Formats: sequence, C-alpha cells, structure tokens
Amino acid sequence: MSRDIERRKFLTLAGSAAGAAALAGCSGGDSTPTDGDDDGGATATSTDGETATDRPEPTTREGYLQRAGRVLNEDAPWIFLNQQYSVYGLSSEIEWTPRNDERIDGYAIEPQGSKSSITISQSSMDSGLDPHDHRETPTDNIVLQAYEGLLTRDAEGAIEDQLATGYERLEPGRVRFELRSGVSFHSGDSMTKQDVAFSVNRIVQSDVGGLESPQRSQLTGVQSAEPADGDNAVIVNSDGINPIVFAEFASYCDIMNRSWVESNDSAYINSNMNGTGPYMLETYEQDVQVVYSSYDDYYGDAPPADSLTIQGVPESSTRVNQLLSGETDLIVNVPPQDASRVQNSDDASVSSVASTRIIYNAMVYNAEPFDSVEFRRAMNYAIDLESIIDNVLSGFANRTAQPGLEGHFGYNPDLDPFPYDVEEAERLVEESGYAGAEITLHTPVGRYLKDLEIAQSVVGYLDELDNVSAEVQQRDFGALASELVDGDITTGPDFYLIGWGNSTFDTSQTILPLLTDEGELYSYVSEEVNELMSQAQSMANEN
Amino acid sequence: MASFGRFLTKRVLQGLGVVLGVITVLFVLRYITPGNPVDVIAPLDAGPETRRRIAENLGLDQPLYVQYFDYIVSLLQGDMGYSYRSRTAVAPRVFAKLPATLELAVASTLVAVVISIPLGVVSATRRHEFPDYVATLFSLLGISTPNFWLGVMLVVLLAVQFQVFPTSSRPVGFLETVGNLVVVSGPEQGWALPLNVDGFVADARNWLFHLFLPAVTLGTYFTALITRLTRSGMLDQLGQGYVQAARAKGLPETLVRYRHALRNTLIPVITVVGLQLGTLIGGAVITEAVFDWPGLGSLVIDAINNRDWPLIQGSLVVIGSGFVFVNIVVDALYARLNPQVME
Repeated sequence: MSRDIERRKFLTLAGSAAGAAALAGCSGGDSTPTDGDDDGGATATSTDGETATDRPEPTTREGYLQRAGRVLNEDAPWIFLNQQYSVYGLSSEIEWTPRNDERIDGYAIEPQGSKSSITISQSSMDSGLDPHDHRETPTDNIVLQAYEGLLTRDAEGAIEDQLATGYERLEPGRVRFELRSGVSFHSGDSMTKQDVAFSVNRIVQSDVGGLESPQRSQLTGVQSAEPADGDNAVIVNSDGINPIVFAEFASYCDIMNRSWVESNDSAYINSNMNGTGPYMLETYEQDVQVVYSSYDDYYGDAPPADSLTIQGVPESSTRVNQLLSGETDLIVNVPPQDASRVQNSDDASVSSVASTRIIYNAMVYNAEPFDSVEFRRAMNYAIDLESIIDNVLSGFANRTAQPGLEGHFGYNPDLDPFPYDVEEAERLVEESGYAGAEITLHTPVGRYLKDLEIAQSVVGYLDELDNVSAEVQQRDFGALASELVDGDITTGPDFYLIGWGNSTFDTSQTILPLLTDEGELYSYVSEEVNELMSQAQSMANEN
Repeated sequence: MASFGRFLTKRVLQGLGVVLGVITVLFVLRYITPGNPVDVIAPLDAGPETRRRIAENLGLDQPLYVQYFDYIVSLLQGDMGYSYRSRTAVAPRVFAKLPATLELAVASTLVAVVISIPLGVVSATRRHEFPDYVATLFSLLGISTPNFWLGVMLVVLLAVQFQVFPTSSRPVGFLETVGNLVVVSGPEQGWALPLNVDGFVADARNWLFHLFLPAVTLGTYFTALITRLTRSGMLDQLGQGYVQAARAKGLPETLVRYRHALRNTLIPVITVVGLQLGTLIGGAVITEAVFDWPGLGSLVIDAINNRDWPLIQGSLVVIGSGFVFVNIVVDALYARLNPQVME
C-alpha cells in the first residue's frame, strides 16, 4: 500500500514538472491503479487544482478508462446522481442472493424445508420468448431460466463458464471458446458447435436465423462465428481487438438449437422455449405467467425446486401484498416506502444490491449555459446528493462521481463525489458568466425509481442558488427518448434526467455511448476523452 | 313489431357508425401523439439504419391513407395487426383477456344489483326511518370512497392480515370452471365420461374466492348509485295514481310494492345498470391493477406504457364495440319495456 502512495506522489510531481512540455491527454500524474491494489486514495480529487494534462500517460487499458473517468469528473458533463439499487422482497421460505446485473436466476433460488415450487413476481412480463429478439431485463429474467450463454456472471459480476469450459484470445479480433460436452437441449438434441456458431451469427448477421436482432449492439464489434476444425470449439471473429468481447458474451448471446430455429416460425419461437438451461417451459400464458419444470437431463445438478413460476404484477403495492400474504416468494422493485413494511414482517425480508444502472442529469456540452465547465461544476456543488439519497430513495442508492460504477472495469477509485457547497456553487456560476441563468430539467416520470422526485429535489437545490433559477418539466419517456436518440444533439432538451444500465461491467460501455460523439445518446464531446477512449479500445484487458 | 325491427336496425347502424368513429379517432390519435413508436421498440443506442428498417417492417413508411385503409380491411378480416413489442398477433391477445374483464364486469354488476335494489326499496318504503338512514349513509360512503383505496384496504385487511381471501390474480376462469361439466366423449377418452363434479366444485370455489374482492370493490360504487336511483324511483312510483288505485282495490301492500311499483321503478334502473356494465368493460383499470386481474384494462395500460399502438388500438376497438353492443341491448330492452321510446 505505502509503496503505491509513494509512487503516486512521485508521478504527480513528475507530471507537474513535465506539464509545460506535455501534449494534451498524453501525460499526467494518474497512477493507473488496478482494483485490489489501490488504497482508494484521497490524494487526488476533482478539486485539487491539478489538470489532466499534468499526468503521465497510462500504460494499461484500465488506466486509460480511469483517466477518462477523471477527466469526466473534472469536466462535469453531468450532475452525477446515483447508482440505482435493485431492491427485492424475499419470503422466509427461500434463500437467494441478488445479482447486481438485475437478473434473477431461478437456479440460484433455494426453497427451504419441504417447499418444492417457487413463484417470482416481477413488474412486467416478456416481450416474447425468443432470447435473441428482445433487449430488456424482464424478458431476460424469463428466458434465462431455460436458455444459457457461453459465459455467465456470478452475483458480483465476475465472469464464469457456462456452456463454454474455457476461452482464450488467439490474436486481436479472434477468440476461441471450448464448449462443454454432454449438453442437450430440452427437445433432446445435443448441443453442437454448429448450434453455437449459428446462435452468434443469428445475432450479429441480418441474414441468419430470420431476424434483425436488437442484441446486435450488445455484441459490439463481433462479426461472425465459425465451428473450429476438429475440436468441440467455436472461433469468434471481431473487427479490431474488441477488448470487451468476453464481457459481452458473459451477459448476452443465449445458445439456441439451429434446427429448431430453422424449422419453426417466429410466432412459435416467441411462445415456446428450447434451451439448455435447468428449467424447461411447462406452460406459457402471455402477459400473465410462465411456468417451468425442472429439466431432468440438465448437465449440472438438478435445480433446487421442481417447479418455477414467473408472473407479471405491474402494481408495486400488489406485489408487496402478494409477498406478505405468502402468495409469492420473490418480488422485484420493492418501493422505498414499502421497504420497512416488508422488513418488519415475520415472513419476509428485503434484500438489496447495487445495480449496474446509473442515474444522471445530462447537461448538453455546447448549449448555454452548460457550455461552461464552471457552470457544470457549480451544478454539482449545488445539490446535497447525500440528502437526496437518504430522503428520496431511503438510502437505497450510491452516490457517484464518474460514469463508471464500482466493480466495473475502468472504475477510478480515487474520485470522490462533489461536496455540497452552496457558496462554491454560486461563486462558480458568477465565474462562468451565466449568473441569472434560467434552466429547465426534463425528466421522465415513472421510468426509473423515484425519477420525478429526484428531479424535483435537484431543481429545488438549484433554485436555491442566488444566481440561478430552475424548474422541472415532466416528460413522457417515449417522447423524451425520441428527442435524445435521433442522432441530433440540438433537438433534445439541454438538461435532462435519464438512466443507463451497463451490464458488460466495462466502463467503456457507458462512456462511449453517452460521452463521446460516437454514441447514439451523447450529450458531451471532448477531444481528450475521445483520445483516451480510442487508446482504451485498441488494447486488450490486462486480466 | 315492425316498428321494433326498424328501431333495432336504426340502432345497429348507428352503433356501427360509432365503432367506425372509434377506429378513426384512435387512428388519428396514434399519429398526433408525440413520440415515435420506433424509439420505444428500438434500444436507446440503435443506429439510424436499424430504426429505418424497423419502421419499414412495421409499414410506418407508407402514406397515412394507405395505412388507414389497410387497417380497416384487416379489421374486417379479424386481423388487428401485430404487437410492436412482442411481434405477436393482437387479436388473440385481446380476446384472451376478454373473459376476465367480462367476469369482473358481470360479477361486480351482480354484487351491485343484489345489494342495491332491496336496499333502495327498503329505503323508500321506510322513508325517514332507521333503515333509510343506514342505506343513505351506505350510499354516501360507497360513492365517496375511491375504488383503489377500498381495494387496497380490503386486500390489506382481508388478504394480508386475516388471510381470508387471496390478494390477487385469477388462476382459473369461468370457462375452465364450467368446462368441468362438459361431458368429454370420444373413442380415445372412452365414451361418455362422467362429469368432473369434484373438479368443478374445486375450480368454482377457487374462482369465486379470487373474484370476490375485486367484484366487491368495483361493485360498491355502483351499489351506492343504484340504491339512490331505486329509492327515488320507488318513491316516485309509490306516489302515482295507479298505486293508490291498486291499494284502493284492496291488493296486499307487498303485492302493490313489489309487483307494481318496483316493476316500473326498474325501467330506468336497467338503463343505468346496462350503461355501467359498458363502462366496467373498459373502466375497471384501477381495480384490475390492484388485484392483478388479467383483463383488458391492464392490457391497455401495459400497451400504453410501451407505446404499443396496435395493441392499444385493438383493445380499445374491442372495448368500444362492447360498449356499443351493451348500449344497443339496453335500448332494445328499454323499448320492449316502454314502447314509447320507439316513437
């Protein structure tokens, strides 16, 4: 530990000395710490006065991502709000540890005593059962009980083998997965390397498998897959090095049976399942419930329960009542106001975990008054984030200081959230030249947990500044999204609340789409960040 | 009789006009509502090319009149299009939800009628006495209690606290329940299998248990309304000359009240009950949400949240047509009971 601190001090000093001669973004004092050997240090925060250009060039991909996080913290393109929690209610008759990627794996739920069936109530049902033809968590939860991918994640997000038993990078742009043998689909067919290659190609190529998969952008960079010669393995080709290829496969790309897909139409595939997972489909009642039974020929241990039911219950108080009366075993999204009611019950408890979703207030970087970095920083100083989290979210959230979240690759542990400092905020507003600014925060209502209430609190704090007046405008999510994703930064609002989930656990997948002009949803562009990201994306992950 | 036929034909034609109007208004609404459906279907980070392809697949790139004409033609063929979100056919989804909605609407109407008509009669015949005050208080409470609050309170009390009733959902429907009584026969099952009476009893019990709280919740409001209507109607009739005449002839008071006065009182009550039934088919949204009742109301809400226009249109066309149908039936019934309306 102490050696690290010494090293950082040295680098900071060296960086300052070299500052005058340095090229922007190519030198500096960041120590490129890696998770686990860093002290989380208090030496450098956004307010220490040093600039990014004073630091030495990072040497690893993680270092570049962490540097980008630091630059973004200093440039404050967002009001950094919170990392959203997933809050679940559990009956005392099951044991389960929530995962931080918002997914519920029925295989991991252990019924207690003589109980042999499990019921899960989530807020909405699936948009069809084709695992390649959707992109939302409620559907993921329903399909992943029956379908599996090559890799998966544990509760903390670490990559684990699933249908692959090994994986390696052969060369930039080519990776190889060794396949598990003895795996069979629920139809009885054995899983082959042809099935696996077909599944990858079905997602990334328009002319394979009869659909334009919305998951294509979740396997960014992947071009094709082919069965390996001789062995039970598959080679996946990407354009360029694709540093996050394994992270992508750990979250996406369920394996389907090629002959089953090719011999059935879309309506059938969307109302039936034929995966390799521990549970197989028993009955499917669209919009109402899905019932699974244990799959006898599963390659692993039999699932702990014989039967599993997932039902859609949109109304949160109804879900809570179901849990309290013992009609269901696991409910998603316990609203903060009901958490104590669940916790105080003898038969149920609350279980929460930090999710992969970040909630932030974007400030469009080239629109007045947000084109001033001082003004943007002032917005961060002006709000009491801790109080918002305690009072609005009942503590079920983490404060954030950067686009990456703790535990994600490229997270910078040295950055602290902006402190609540009204005087500093007012001073910075004066300095920005935008004193007297009138701003409007656009927020969706009901899309994210307590979104409107968070926006109202933020605006309350901003409006308290002597030299800024602020108000909230409530928006329909669909309409707001239309303005944000049309590829034209000028058609959307200049200041808005939105959330972003990043289930690859790689910081690049938040920074690239949101904070570089490569992204579909960007609100900010800087040459320095672009440069750091292009460096990061040209390197493989070090671990 | 001929005039009744003409009256009915006229009403049916008017009804069809209204249904066409509903279809057209929905179609227009779809295009003036802000927010492009493609943005809701496509992931936030999808590129313009993906968006264009999605729009093309959905036929959204066609001129409006072509889309309108295509929609009407498909409707006539029983095709309501495909859901944007799940890409499954809308018609079977909507019709799958219809039984749940009808069960709830009919059950809550029954709850209302069974409680309110006797209550109204008692209230009118014992005017300004204790039973009248109790009935009035009950009506007032019923009308002023919001449905969602009553529903949640009933659940918290009777389902969570005392666990007498289940909180929600509909594990079995009326059709499945009655299905137990249908004799299954054929060469494979063996001819003339005995009726599954045990299954029927078990299912009926389960069905009624789940239906009870939502039906009571939804029925309470209308109970109050119909009680007031019956009371004032009954008072009105009891003051009429024919009632005096019947009494003067020496008919027993019970016969006068229930045979003569109540019969005439029920004419306007039937109209209101019919109209309420129509409202219930589409308007039970909140109750359906509180009780997780899988009817059309929850389907519409879900569809609206997802901007799933084909599903919204399909559900509302069915709800609108149901309303129009109930109205025609009520009109016909009314015309039979009181031929004056046909003039």
